[in-house]
Amino acid sequence: MTLSDRLSQVELFEGLEPDELDQIAAICEERTLSSGHVVAKQGDAGDELYIIWEGLVEVVHEETPEDPAPRTVVNLGQGQVFGEMALVDFGPRSATVRVISEKAILQAIPREAFLEACESHNHLGYAVMRNMAADLSFKLRHQHLIGR
Amino acid sequence: MSTIFKVSYVVQGGGHPGAIVNEDKKPEVGQRVTLGSKEFEVVEVVDLMPARGDFSFLHVTVKAIGN
Repeated sequence: MTLSDRLSQVELFEGLEPDELDQIAAICEERTLSSGHVVAKQGDAGDELYIIWEGLVEVVHEETPEDPAPRTVVNLGQGQVFGEMALVDFGPRSATVRVISEKAILQAIPREAFLEACESHNHLGYAVMRNMAADLSFKLRHQHLIGR
Repeated sequence: MSTIFKVSYVVQGGGHPGAIVNEDKKPEVGQRVTLGSKEFEVVEVVDLMPARGDFSFLHVTVKAIGN
């Protein structure tokens, strides 16, 4: 299975044509990380989006003056995306993300290349942004269900 | 392409953040699933949102094994 084929199984790229998936594949950088590796640190600047190819990560809200107890808000596994908030709003990382499986394989997409692909190909850009909104909605619904 | 099930796993009783994972097969009540290093039993499966493309979106409630 090619990288483009695998990308078609990620919701963020649902609805993309084969040539559009190839464009995304061309800007992916594969990372293999071991357990405990911190992929993103809350408060840091972020310029990459990540797709979980294999493994599990935990998303942790670190302690702040308003919230003194760090807590894991969700675990994310195969096919999930994180780092998208800082990628599109240019704000700091909203949480710390750490590998909790024995190892994790991620695909990293740099902001500049990602935004260039979205802005230069209307259909690709529309589909990815729609899917990103749907993914954020799914994560919000998950949080609502956790809090029931 | 076959359906990909995007699953929001929520653990009964709180104390665990649950997980969001893509699955090849639809989870079924009574099935055991592993989230991280812990094992759980599925107690409820419901559609969370309408399916889109090859993706189906599910909310799955699980309970810790032994509780």
